[in-house]
Amino acid sequence: MFDLSINAFFMQLLTGLQMGSIYVLIALGLTLIFGTLGVVNFAHGALYLVAIYLAVSINDAMGFGMALVLVPTILFILGLAMERGLIQFFYNRPHTDQILVTFGLAIVIQELLKWVFGANNIPFAIPSWGNGIILMHEWFPFLEGFVVYPKWRMILVVVSIVTVSAVFALLHWTTFGLVIRAGMRDSEMLQFLGVNINRRFMIVFGLGSLIAGIAGVFGGPVTQVSPEVGMHLLVPSFLVVVIGGMGSLSGAVLAGILIGMAQSFTAYDINLSTIIIYLITVIVLLVRPRGLLGAKGVFE
Amino acid sequence: MSVLANNHQVQSFFSCRDLNAYYGESYVVQGVSFDIPEGEIVALLGRNGAGKSSTLRTIARANQPALTSGEIWLNGQAMHTMETYEAARNGIQLVCEDRRIIPGVTVEDNLTLAQIAEPIGWDKERVYSHFPRLAERRKQEASSLSGGEQQMLSVARALCRDVKLLLLDEPYEGLAPVIVQEIERMLQEVKKMGITTIIVEQNAVAALKLADHAIIIDTGEIVFTGTAQEVLDNQALREEYLAV
Repeated sequence: MFDLSINAFFMQLLTGLQMGSIYVLIALGLTLIFGTLGVVNFAHGALYLVAIYLAVSINDAMGFGMALVLVPTILFILGLAMERGLIQFFYNRPHTDQILVTFGLAIVIQELLKWVFGANNIPFAIPSWGNGIILMHEWFPFLEGFVVYPKWRMILVVVSIVTVSAVFALLHWTTFGLVIRAGMRDSEMLQFLGVNINRRFMIVFGLGSLIAGIAGVFGGPVTQVSPEVGMHLLVPSFLVVVIGGMGSLSGAVLAGILIGMAQSFTAYDINLSTIIIYLITVIVLLVRPRGLLGAKGVFE
Repeated sequence: MSVLANNHQVQSFFSCRDLNAYYGESYVVQGVSFDIPEGEIVALLGRNGAGKSSTLRTIARANQPALTSGEIWLNGQAMHTMETYEAARNGIQLVCEDRRIIPGVTVEDNLTLAQIAEPIGWDKERVYSHFPRLAERRKQEASSLSGGEQQMLSVARALCRDVKLLLLDEPYEGLAPVIVQEIERMLQEVKKMGITTIIVEQNAVAALKLADHAIIIDTGEIVFTGTAQEVLDNQALREEYLAV
């Protein structure tokens, strides 16, 4: 089973990268929210669910361009409303309370969407420019024969790279980012310096939702549009955050790719492919409890 | 006597009235009242666990300990109705115990973070000309500084704000004697600037050398107010309330 040809190896690498891209996009929002607000947001998968249903509806009615503009915007506003209307009341409550309330919210959102759209998968029409295949053997001469990969899945990988780069640039090259990074380490000290850190953290919650919006627009055609998708993605994405290190963005990226790859390379055995993510989580937590790139002192 | 306890009717530059604050069930600040005229330095003294740092945190409007009753006035403004960041914007600067330098960012970033919210005080050039050591280390990761340098940075960071009341919590804690002397010299310079200051310090003699007046606090309550010299001269008083 390990006699992989170069072509099969390459395809599994691409598939791992593409699966990892979705995990990274969802885990990025989760880890941003956890790192800043200390809130374990189990409703984050439901935000992705809202995003894919909004994306498919707007795409059908007004085209993909409008979906690309509107879905992240609506998700940003939804994130702000969720933080102000619900989450802020749980900042000083135990994590178990946060998990219960956000998990409850996730179920409510899931059932509402099932009520409105039904339980079946809704086909997501990919725009014409994203349809078709990429002839990989033309780009990578070392491949043997005729090797193709769906264009949309490559677009998803590129979108993921661009989004991650944009978030890193925001956090590392702007004053807003400096405040957020500092706030993740010592939010009280920033308040002693006159910074209204809670307002910035509210924006971060919106930003996390916005990223779920981007993930929904590009990930919907890949993950399908059905009410269970949110929960199916939540657990792996949460484990990505844990493996990467709670609150660590580069950790989320590394762990997302790692999990995507692990699932892709064990796809020959459905049982192994299902449990591999939990195996990796157990091993990482045993060897390094703060996660691969978790900063010392952050949620230790 | 310029430091007065209890029911003083004249509005001072800084005044706190009957402060009561709790950490959960623990009653840590018990009816503390005192005034400070503008430009004076007050040493807030007492044994370990007497409630000195809790009093400073209460004045800085930290969420913990929670202020349950009492009033805090600074330059005619009611600080007791404000959030932590609002109190900081209105002139209160707490230089925390254990320095609280933000790790993971540079020395310069730590100063930048103090200059985000208006109104700001010193610009960076002024900080660097006063603290050349910080200028040398401006691009260095802040938590890699020595204890003395971190203390310097935490005071410099406070001066980057438009500070009206400086709260110094254990500025000499954990520092070698030679570094303590250096920080003492730095605080003498801060004193010349005429900033109204409250200093909490386990090393009572060092604090009294800097202060004009002293307040001794015991189990959350004020037990003595007077001049710094009175405390230095009264060995019985020091032994009763300041022995560790």
